[in-house]
Amino acid sequence: MTQVVDRPTRRGATPSRQVPVGRPRQESRVKVVLYLLAAVLSVLVFVVPLVWALMRSLQPNATITSAPDLSTFFKLTFDNFRGIADQGHIPRAVLNSLIVSGGTAVLTTLLATSAGYGFGRFTFRGSGITFGLIIVTLMIPFQAILTPLFMQLNAMHLTDSLLGLVLFYSTVNLPFGVFVMRTAFSSIPTELEDAASIDGAGTMRTFTHVLRPLVVPGMATTALYAFLAAWTEFLGALTFLTRQDLYTLPLSLVNLQQGAYGQVNYGYLAAGSVIAMVPCVILFVALQRFYVAGLSAGAVKG
Amino acid sequence: MTLSGTEVRTRAAAETTPPASPRRGLLGGTGSLTHRPGTGLALVLPAVAFVVTFVFVPLIFAVYISMTNWPLIGSYKFVGFANYASIAQDTAFWKSVLYTLLYTGIVTLPILVVGYLMAVVVRANRRGSTLLRTIFFLPYVIGLSTLSFLTVLEAQPNSGAINLLLKALGFTDGTTAWLVNGPLATGLICALVIWGVSGLTMVLLVSGMQAIAGEIYESAEMDGASWWSRELHITIPMLRRTIAMSLILSVIGSFLAFTQFFVLTQGGPGTDTTPIVLYIYQRAFVQLQVGAATALSIVLVIVVALISAGQFWLLREKD
Repeated sequence: MTQVVDRPTRRGATPSRQVPVGRPRQESRVKVVLYLLAAVLSVLVFVVPLVWALMRSLQPNATITSAPDLSTFFKLTFDNFRGIADQGHIPRAVLNSLIVSGGTAVLTTLLATSAGYGFGRFTFRGSGITFGLIIVTLMIPFQAILTPLFMQLNAMHLTDSLLGLVLFYSTVNLPFGVFVMRTAFSSIPTELEDAASIDGAGTMRTFTHVLRPLVVPGMATTALYAFLAAWTEFLGALTFLTRQDLYTLPLSLVNLQQGAYGQVNYGYLAAGSVIAMVPCVILFVALQRFYVAGLSAGAVKG
Repeated sequence: MTLSGTEVRTRAAAETTPPASPRRGLLGGTGSLTHRPGTGLALVLPAVAFVVTFVFVPLIFAVYISMTNWPLIGSYKFVGFANYASIAQDTAFWKSVLYTLLYTGIVTLPILVVGYLMAVVVRANRRGSTLLRTIFFLPYVIGLSTLSFLTVLEAQPNSGAINLLLKALGFTDGTTAWLVNGPLATGLICALVIWGVSGLTMVLLVSGMQAIAGEIYESAEMDGASWWSRELHITIPMLRRTIAMSLILSVIGSFLAFTQFFVLTQGGPGTDTTPIVLYIYQRAFVQLQVGAATALSIVLVIVVALISAGQFWLLREKD
C-alpha cells in the first residue's frame, strides 16, 4: 500500500511524475503490485459503469429492456438523442437547467465576492454578527425548512419561477461562497491596496484593477460549486416548480421515468441521464486544477 | 447521504478550505486606513439579506406554521402544540425515522472505510494517482439524482446490468426485481450511495493525510512498526478531526436523504422505503397537511443540529 513516508525521499528527483516501477530501492515490489491492482480494480468499479451508461444511451429501448443478445448489443445509434430532441421536453429542461445553473453561478459569485471583499478587507461594526449569520445557515438544512420556504416563495410570487429557483439556490450556496471569497480577499497583502489608494483609486477601482485578478480562482471555485449544485439539485426544484415547461433536467427525467411523456422509453432515460452527466464531468475535469487553486486560496504570498 | 443536499457539498468544501491567513483576525478587516467602515457593511449586506430572507425568516415562520393546522390552500387556525403532541402517535413518522436510522446505520461505516481505502491508494504522488483521485470523485460530482436514473435501468429484471452481473457470477438467476422489494431496494440504494459518495470522504481524508509530516512515519518505520500499526497509531489518531467531519457529513447527509428514494422506489412498496424527508414531503405536498409536516420539520432541524453537536463533542473528547 502507498505510504506518506515515501514522499520525502521520492520527492527529490521529480515531484509529480513518480515512476514506482523504476525505483525498487525505495518501494517494494509488493507495494507497486498492490497499487496497480487497486488502480485496475478502481477502473473496473468506477469507470466501467460510466462507460456502460454511455453505451446504454446509444442503445434502443428494445435492447436495453431485453436480455443481452450479442448480435444487437453493440449496434449503437443516436436514435435516443434524436428521439428526445423531437419530443421536446428534455431540450426545454436542459435549457431551463442551464438558465438556472448559470444564473445561480453568476448571482452566487456576485454576492459572495461582494461579501468576501467586505469581510476580508474591511473592519466594520457588526462584521462578526453578519458573518456569523451567514455561516450558521450551514447548520440549517433547507430540506428541513421546505414547507415555510415554499410558502414564502409563493407569497413573493417566486414559485413556478426560474428566478425563484435561482434566488433559492444562490442562498443555499452562499455560505460556502462567502467563506471562499473571504479567504481569497484576506490573503492579499494590504500593501497592494494601499499603493492603489495612494494612486487615487477608489473602492470599486481598487477592486476591478488590483484585487479582482487575485481573487479569480476563488470566484471560479464559487461559480463552479454553485453551477454543479444547481445542475443536480432535485428536492427544491420538485417542491417549487409545478409547471412542466419550467422543469429542470432532473425533474424532466423523473417525468420520463414515470411515463408522464408517454410510454416509458429507457433508451430516452439513458440518453437524458448522459446529458445530465456530461456537463458535470467536463466542468469538473476541466476546472479541477483551477478549483484546487481556488480552495487553497491566496494568490500572492505576502 | 444525499447529493441533492447542496448544503452537504457546501460543508464539505468549507472543511477543505484552509483557514484565512493568520495575519488577519477571524472576522476579517485589514486595518487599512483608506477603507471606510460603511463600505464594508454595504458590501456584505446583499448576502446577509439573502440568508435572512430565505433562511431565517422561513425558519421563524416555520415555528408559527407548526402551531397551526395549515393546509396548503385555504384558511387555517392556531392549534398550539397539538401538531407536536400528535407526533408521538404518528406511527408512519416513526417508521420513517426507524428506516432512516437503519439506512444511516448501514451506509455510514462503509462510506468511511471505502473512502479511507481510496485515500490510502491515492495519497502518495505516484503515476496516475491524480487521475485516480478524479475517477473516485466523479460519481459525487455527477450527483445521486443522475446516478439514480441510471440505476433504474440497470435494476430491471433480466436486462439490467446488476442482474446480468449477479447471474454471470452465479449468485442469482438474473430475474430479481430490485425496486419492488423493500429489503432488496434498500440494499441496492445503500450500495449505490456508498459507491457514489465515498469519493467525498476520500478527498477530505487525502488532504488530511498529506498534512502529516513524513518524519513521523519514518521514525515509526525505524522502530519496526508495521503498515497496519502505523495507520492505527499515527494516521487515524492524527486524522481524528477529519474523520469526525466526514462522519458528520455522512450521517447528516443520510438523515436528509431524499432523491435516491424518490427516484428509485417512491418510498415503496407501501411505505417500506420512506425516509424522513420523503415522509415530510408527502405529508406537506401530497396530503396537504403543512402544519403537521412543519412540526416534523422543526423536529428534524433540532435532531440534525444535535447530531452535529453530539458528534463533534464525542470525537473531540479524546483531545
